Amino acid sequence: MFTQRLSVLQAVVMGIALILVLFPVFWLLMTAIKPPTDWNASPAIWIPSRPTLINFQTLFDPDAIREYGVGGVSQSATAAVIGSVFASSLATFISVAVGLFSAIGISRYSKGSRAAPLIILSGRMFPPAAIAVPFVIIFSTVGLIDSYAGLIAVYVAVTLPFAAWMLKSFVDDLPREIEEAAMLDGKSRIQAHLTVTVPLIKGGLFSTTMLVFILNWSEFMFALVLSYSNIHTIPVQLAKYVTATAGTLYGVQAALAVLAMLPLLVGGLLIRSHLARGMTFGAIKQ
Amino acid sequence: MSTAPYLSEKPEVAFPAPKPGKAPGAKSLSVGRLFMLPGQAVSLLVLVMPLLVALYMSFTDWTPTRGSLTDASFMGVENYSELLVWDTRFLEAVGRTLVMAGISLCLEFVMGLGLAVLFMRRFRGKSLLFSAFLTPMMVLPVVVGYTFWMLFQTNGPVNHVLHLLGASGAEWFKDSTFAFAAVIITEVWHWTPLFFLILLSGLNAVPENPIRAAVILGASPGQVFRYVILPMLRPVIIVAFVIRSMEVVKLFDEVFMLTRGGPGSSTETISLYIYKLAFNDFQLAYGAAAAFLVLIGSLGLVHLLLTPVKDQLLRDRY
Repeated sequence: MFTQRLSVLQAVVMGIALILVLFPVFWLLMTAIKPPTDWNASPAIWIPSRPTLINFQTLFDPDAIREYGVGGVSQSATAAVIGSVFASSLATFISVAVGLFSAIGISRYSKGSRAAPLIILSGRMFPPAAIAVPFVIIFSTVGLIDSYAGLIAVYVAVTLPFAAWMLKSFVDDLPREIEEAAMLDGKSRIQAHLTVTVPLIKGGLFSTTMLVFILNWSEFMFALVLSYSNIHTIPVQLAKYVTATAGTLYGVQAALAVLAMLPLLVGGLLIRSHLARGMTFGAIKQ
Repeated sequence: MSTAPYLSEKPEVAFPAPKPGKAPGAKSLSVGRLFMLPGQAVSLLVLVMPLLVALYMSFTDWTPTRGSLTDASFMGVENYSELLVWDTRFLEAVGRTLVMAGISLCLEFVMGLGLAVLFMRRFRGKSLLFSAFLTPMMVLPVVVGYTFWMLFQTNGPVNHVLHLLGASGAEWFKDSTFAFAAVIITEVWHWTPLFFLILLSGLNAVPENPIRAAVILGASPGQVFRYVILPMLRPVIIVAFVIRSMEVVKLFDEVFMLTRGGPGSSTETISLYIYKLAFNDFQLAYGAAAAFLVLIGSLGLVHLLLTPVKDQLLRDRY
């Protein structure tokens, strides 16, 4: 029954769904290239008549927008972009590297602990606002508050279970016999894992890295409560534009939102065949 | 992968099978220890320890003005009883989050399933459309929140379309019902693709023979779907609901960008309330207690969801 062609009605339904799915993204892109006069015009302007890149320019040169008679962009987004790239990349690297060892350990050496998935799941369920509370207190005492080291530590804490569990599902897919064969060839256990197992899950490693990066890059609340003046990330900067100027800078914010979104769209598409597995902690294999 | 989108539970055996004469048992265990050590160390330091601190704190009356945590006085379960009995704002936030979750998850499930079923048919450009339908999932929650905040502005495109259709439009963020609806619409847009993705991989893994058999026995397509396909999809559906319920309990970023919980507290989710308690009012101990209540509640919820399929999931794949 699954080989029929799409009927006309079904095609129409899908077309409408497609429009609904893509419209918000379209609106965001359009707003990012609107000059200030079009930002919040009434009636709404759907496609700017004079598209401009001034919003993107303003992100890195706050005074650029003044030629349109708009002032009040307090801060350049350069620090936020650099901060996001730095913190997300380093946290992703640590999380995946540590997670890889845990994955091999859990998959190959741990005797069926049924509780482990539940522990990891409950870690994911804990409201971030609550995890943030002890972090803020501990970090204030050890001087890690408002520092990238602290932020990265939190990111690793949050994404490590995820990385380990997803990688475990890839290691599980490999038959143990492959490693046993390598050991019969005279390799030690550790060598067998590092030179046989790891290269064989390259694809999974890449997908996990992308997904962990997406999680870190998107993270908002921890960065919000852990940053005062030293650390900057794109999501926090985006939220700051709203509060600081009560929504008068639609275009500039949209430009930053587009910058934030692009790497994730590209990365997400690259790993779409592993997305289902990643989003379900390896519960579903595609 | 062969067929299965079923839970990746395997019979677990210590690796590898002992070889005669080498007594590898002890060694293999130590290699395993070695591999798991970094992960355990990191988890202990940055996950378990903060949680224990928070747990202790939730039994005290600590606030930042009271100096170090050891100066706080121990109050037993007072924070918890206060929350459960007197704090109507907390209880309302819990109820509101559950209602929001219920409505969004049902809508996401129905639309995701519909779309997934359409994707089982043949048509051109399928892989391009597949990517397009996954787009929302890959957008940052903060960006989703900001984008929908723009869409729902009084001068925004949603009202524009409503006007063109002859309706009057709405002040989305000034009316509590409309604000609530705006949050749900945003949430549904963002996460329907996940249901679609999970259900589609479930549908793809449904074996064809039972379907053929049912058709030969004279079942209508509707009956085949209801009595053959849907039961086989059940574990996958449950996984989708479990994953999404875990996330929706934490709903924060989008609401923060859209409404900040307003107007009043009409869209205040439980995460937003805990955030405000801890970081606007500095009621850190009280906020920690609220968080543990939420954790216990969500664990119970997930347990409840998993109960009907537990046997099925723990058994080997069929």
